[in-house]
Amino acid sequence: MSTVGRGLAVAVVVAGVGFLMVPLLIVSAPIEPVMGVVQKIFYFHVPCAIMMFVSTFTAAGGSIAYLFRGSERGDRIAHAAGELGVLFGACVLVTGPLWGRKAWGVWWQWDARLTSCLLLFLILNGYLLARRYGGPAGKKLAAALALFAAVDVPLVYKSVDIWRTVHPQTTVVPSLDPRMRPAFWAAFALITLVWGILLTLRVRLEDLRATVDDLDLLTDDLAENRP
Amino acid sequence: MTIRTALHAARRATTASALACALLSLAPATARAQEFVKVENAVREQLPAPQFVAAAYGFIWLAILTYVVVVARGLGRTRRDIEELRRRVERASGGDKRT
Repeated sequence: MSTVGRGLAVAVVVAGVGFLMVPLLIVSAPIEPVMGVVQKIFYFHVPCAIMMFVSTFTAAGGSIAYLFRGSERGDRIAHAAGELGVLFGACVLVTGPLWGRKAWGVWWQWDARLTSCLLLFLILNGYLLARRYGGPAGKKLAAALALFAAVDVPLVYKSVDIWRTVHPQTTVVPSLDPRMRPAFWAAFALITLVWGILLTLRVRLEDLRATVDDLDLLTDDLAENRP
Repeated sequence: MTIRTALHAARRATTASALACALLSLAPATARAQEFVKVENAVREQLPAPQFVAAAYGFIWLAILTYVVVVARGLGRTRRDIEELRRRVERASGGDKRT
């Protein structure tokens, strides 16, 4: 087994243990007095949002490498990260309204945080669609979209401080009750680990697909050169 | 349509809108709240929070698991494609050697 394979196997085992341990920590964390039990969605909602942002920045970084240096590897990493951005974005946009319905009484509010987050999710979907259906220039068009998505991330993050919104502010995590911190950081570590595993697997898939394309070309060349 | 006809149409539309606004402002605003009335023992909406938490966690793990399955299937399929293509390359290059 290669070093990457061994690292991946260890990460999967640690993630498996995390799946068992983190829910226990979340259940044992104190109940928030205003929102009650539904606040426990926070322990996975926030790490998913952070991973959405990290995915977007990774996709933008890979896209910059592809656009300005022609790095195919950068493009493959950007593609994988773009997909993970959509995956974790979907988690954020589903768990958020579940929390909101109980805490605010409505599933959705067109306030700055929720709207800018939805916009980021749509841009990431646009990135994937441009890659798939954009034709020969699709990859470059998608790479430009990834840069726009990265610009939206600070706007999403700071929106709760700039505008009046129903969403909790950015001070929530730093001012978290010390008894809630172990559950939050454990959930954050678990989600980060899962993100790392998924990114590694997805980039590996893109690498293998590139190998398939190379071999395909080679077989075509050999077939053409055969007398 | 000439510019004059278009201007006439725009003027008529503006006059109609202004008339409609004036009529609406004259109508009594019965639907609007005039005061807030306190209600005793009102039935409050009771939503089961544990079910919301379970639905949120369930969705996250289901989404991640589905993604893992999709990527794992893709990896398996691509590895099979690579093996098949390698066999073809070997056959083709072996054919070249014989010729």
